[in-house]
Amino acid sequence: MGILDGIGQGFAVALDPINLLYVFLGVLIGTVIGVLPGLGPTATIALLLPLTYEVEPVTAVILLAGIYYGSMYGGTITSVLLQLPGEAASVVTTFDGYQMAKQGRAGPALGIAAVGSFIGGTVAVIGLTLLAPPLADLAVEFGSQEYVALTALGILLVTYLGTRHPVKSLCMAALGLLLATIGQDDITGTTRFTFGQIALFDGFDFVAVAMGLFGVGEILYNVEKTEKAQAIKTKLKNVWPSRKDFRDSSGAIARGSVMGFFIGVLPGGGGVISSLASYATEKRRAKDPSRFGKGAIEGVAGPETANNASSTSAFIPLLTLGIPANVVLALIFGALLVQGITPGPQLISQEPEIFWGVIASMYIGNLMLLALNIPLVGVFVQLLRVRSGILAAFALLVTMAGVFSVNNDSFDMWVVLLFGLVGWLMKKTGFEPGPLVLAFVLGSILETNFRRSMLLSGGEFSTFITRPMSGTIFALMALVIIISVISGIRKRRRRSRPATPGEEDLAATGTTAEPEGTPGNETTDEQAPPAESGVPRDRS
Amino acid sequence: MRRFRATAPAALAASVLVLAACGEDAAEPQAEGGGEPAAAEYPTERITLIVPYAAGGPITLMGQTVGTCLEEEFGQTVVVENREGASGSVGMQAMLAGGNDGHTIGIIAVPASATNPLQDDVGYTNEDYVPIAVGEVIPSVLAVGADSQFADAEAFFQYAKENPGELNVGVPGATTSQAMELRRMAELYDVEVTAVPFNGNAEMTTALLGGNVDAVFINSTEDVLQNIEAGSFTPLAVSPEEPIEYIDAPTLAQVGFPELVYSTSVWGFAAPAGVPDDVVSTLESAIENCLSKEETIETLGEQYVPDEFIGSEEFAARIDDIVEVYGPILQD
Repeated sequence: MGILDGIGQGFAVALDPINLLYVFLGVLIGTVIGVLPGLGPTATIALLLPLTYEVEPVTAVILLAGIYYGSMYGGTITSVLLQLPGEAASVVTTFDGYQMAKQGRAGPALGIAAVGSFIGGTVAVIGLTLLAPPLADLAVEFGSQEYVALTALGILLVTYLGTRHPVKSLCMAALGLLLATIGQDDITGTTRFTFGQIALFDGFDFVAVAMGLFGVGEILYNVEKTEKAQAIKTKLKNVWPSRKDFRDSSGAIARGSVMGFFIGVLPGGGGVISSLASYATEKRRAKDPSRFGKGAIEGVAGPETANNASSTSAFIPLLTLGIPANVVLALIFGALLVQGITPGPQLISQEPEIFWGVIASMYIGNLMLLALNIPLVGVFVQLLRVRSGILAAFALLVTMAGVFSVNNDSFDMWVVLLFGLVGWLMKKTGFEPGPLVLAFVLGSILETNFRRSMLLSGGEFSTFITRPMSGTIFALMALVIIISVISGIRKRRRRSRPATPGEEDLAATGTTAEPEGTPGNETTDEQAPPAESGVPRDRS
Repeated sequence: MRRFRATAPAALAASVLVLAACGEDAAEPQAEGGGEPAAAEYPTERITLIVPYAAGGPITLMGQTVGTCLEEEFGQTVVVENREGASGSVGMQAMLAGGNDGHTIGIIAVPASATNPLQDDVGYTNEDYVPIAVGEVIPSVLAVGADSQFADAEAFFQYAKENPGELNVGVPGATTSQAMELRRMAELYDVEVTAVPFNGNAEMTTALLGGNVDAVFINSTEDVLQNIEAGSFTPLAVSPEEPIEYIDAPTLAQVGFPELVYSTSVWGFAAPAGVPDDVVSTLESAIENCLSKEETIETLGEQYVPDEFIGSEEFAARIDDIVEVYGPILQD
């Protein structure tokens, strides 16, 4: 099937009234939780997962995808108006967005963010449309060895990219890998670490683990803070940016689209890294870098474009290889698995309506978001009046009911609560659940394929290097490790720590980068020990 | 929330106890009522039909199709409930816990349902359930890719014999009938290939199309038949005793392995042991009726619904055979 036929079929699916409704619901929920600090896309998707089992698989993914890229729009609003990022990827937007708001230019800041997000999202969907089918064709050739290489690369990048404490991330990834070994072993069929409990034969349910770590962990953490409801006083007028604003930010939007697209495809990439990278690039390219941090519109347009583009392109590895690039995609992967669909190279040919339907829904969703965001910004802002305690109680109720409904098994509810406690403790101690969950998902893929490779090659380790594709990926991994070690040593000599792109900017404002999957920004202050960040922390 | 946190350790501890208790309950065979006098009427209330696999697959389709039909036959609601996990053991436990008055029945997938208790303590034995009727029979097929060097089974097995362990054959899981037949092939006939376990048909199909395995030994479900028809799979041999009309290939028995006739997935219905005999026969004839209906056959696939109905006794004999053949392999 050609791309044109495919996309035609996709629109036929996406324009189905039910699916249209779910696109709308998705982007609406996404925007709302983007606005609400504390509940990020990861937590929300984790909480809502079980509710999607009742609908068609394509509808479920359409909804979840909508929440993901929708939240990228919504997070901007509070970043600009309150210097309070609604989700992690919008942290950078606070630098210049809030300054613009102080200068009375909140309208154009939000406007350009919405326009940029729309362009970035659309560019990325077009890229996805064109690139995914050939990539899937290529992926059919992928054997176990290539999957080993890709998942190992994924785990490496997730623990390295965008994390503040590589050692802590590494610990969490190791824990995730260990957890993945629980249950029946794929290759010999023997049971491991089940203690004779039949409920553990299939290992921990991924959905329950993710809901616990992200959903319940987040809720517990937020409740502890008993935050006061916020009221907005800033008046919004002239949301549509001026012609000069467009001229100033067009370059940033173009670069942000491309950069976001490619970073999104990387394992461990996603919103946060891409917005940081875009901000750093714009600042470097600017004729007068000192404008940044004082209300430069490029500093809003670029990152907002990039985070949206990356949240779309992150679907490429999932839909073509069956490998989730970040935690949100891991959750969507889980949703598909529960529906009896294993994403992989066969998805395009065997489930074309899912593949193309989701892509088509993204075109529609981005249009809806543009329409929602420009006129309705004022309404969304009022959501901040909702008290987090009420929200938390409600969310917990939905979670518990939801997870029970998956298997009608109360065991899963205990798993959620247990991992909720773990997640809460991790948040308090500065360990990130992201690497754990992703390593948990990728771990079983890695192990099974590694052992399958050993079977196929008759126990020859060289099989990983002699096959061209897996050899290339392993070479790439070696390169990443060497570079990071060298730069780590050099940084240490300069008595600084390894920084992700744009981290200097973050440090300057007293925030630290949060990877995908740790939505609340408020945590950062307590998490980063003063000795390490070394800057005065001025945020309230 | 705060209260929860304060009591969490206690609650967790309690949960462990409760769970342990549940485990014991479920493990208790529900066979006490064996051979009791028949219930005067059956069914008197709604029937729960437990499908021990995740929603969305062909087994669930069979449950729903036959469930709907039974609803018409009996005039009672039939609730189809998916209770997946542990290769069907979770669903089996749920069925046994539902009591043996015939109002809780379940689907079993043989060989898995019969071999699970041979490998691990899964909370039931093969004496804890009564097979009622076979719904679908899915044979296995040994297939190679379109550009394979092997044109027929003879060439394939000749090569395997001369190069032990060199050919990689994908199988749908480590303890599936396909994997066990390949082990028996090595043990009984000294023809050795390397069985590479995959998760389900989609992964195996990708591996074969990508040239990463030499062949697959796979359940001949709809998707596989399509691949055969499209020419991307070449069938070399099929598993049942008798040749099957919709796959153009000899049986394994015909190409020199007369004992290898067990690799067939049989999906059927069962009830907890101790269910009254007349309830079994009521269910048996109701299911037979359902399976002879045009619309059922069309939904489930003409090729998979047995032409001749397989009832309780014959199904039970078949399970005994499988236990006898596979038992020793699984226990070493």
